Amino acid sequence: MGQEFVLLISSSVFCIGACGFIIRKNPLIMFMSVELMLNSVNFLLIAYSSFLNSLDGQIFALIIMTVAAAEVVVGLAIILTIFRTRHEMDVDHINALKG
Amino acid sequence: MFDLATVFEFTRDTVIFTVGITAVLASLGVILCSSPIYCALYLISHMICLALLFLLYNAEFLAAVQIIVYAGAVMILFLFIIALLGGKKEIQENSLERSIAFTFILTLAGELYLSATVGPTQQIEGEISPELFGTAKAIGLELYSKHLIAFELASALLLVAAVGVICLAKFSFAPLKRR
Repeated sequence: MGQEFVLLISSSVFCIGACGFIIRKNPLIMFMSVELMLNSVNFLLIAYSSFLNSLDGQIFALIIMTVAAAEVVVGLAIILTIFRTRHEMDVDHINALKG
Repeated sequence: MFDLATVFEFTRDTVIFTVGITAVLASLGVILCSSPIYCALYLISHMICLALLFLLYNAEFLAAVQIIVYAGAVMILFLFIIALLGGKKEIQENSLERSIAFTFILTLAGELYLSATVGPTQQIEGEISPELFGTAKAIGLELYSKHLIAFELASALLLVAAVGVICLAKFSFAPLKRR
């Protein structure tokens, strides 16, 4: 399959992820949308590393996966902490740093 | 009659097309479902589709990492949190913010399309032999020689994340008294 198809799939998944991050109100689903965006970029890097016959893209994707795993763990811990103090899950209502 | 290479190419293209379309549909399901548990399930199917695409683009090590790290660890964490917090359904309504979001996304898609039409990339002559491309051996050789600093920084990042999560989870969060 050509490079146009890869670009099409990757950019549409990225746009879907950005859209989900904006329109959803549940912080868990917002995190899932961030995962979608990171994954689409990973796919683009890996496909182009195959097109270019160079492994740098795959190493980059591996580092992105590490960063995404760390980000998800910290983010979910923060969401859990917010839920324990405030007992609600709507990002529109969370407007104060102090509990 | 049928050239074997042509048949192989055609089959590969068909599989890539099908799996790619499935990945896009699954990602649409992630943002359109109102219940978080269904979103998580759609996201798992999206991850598995992406792992298949990684395999088709000669990245077998990263396909395994994708399954283990994302579809395994990260999504199990998501499902645990959803089970802990209770997956309440979210009422979806049309609002001004939503139309602003769609305008923004359409602009973003247009810009991505314009930046993608610069022409195909030329293949460069790599030193990696084709049968070794994407295997754990090739990745390891590359990672421990050329990209050692990134690897060490990633280990420091993981340590900091682990310490941070322990700090967040350790202290009891009784609602703070207002002064």
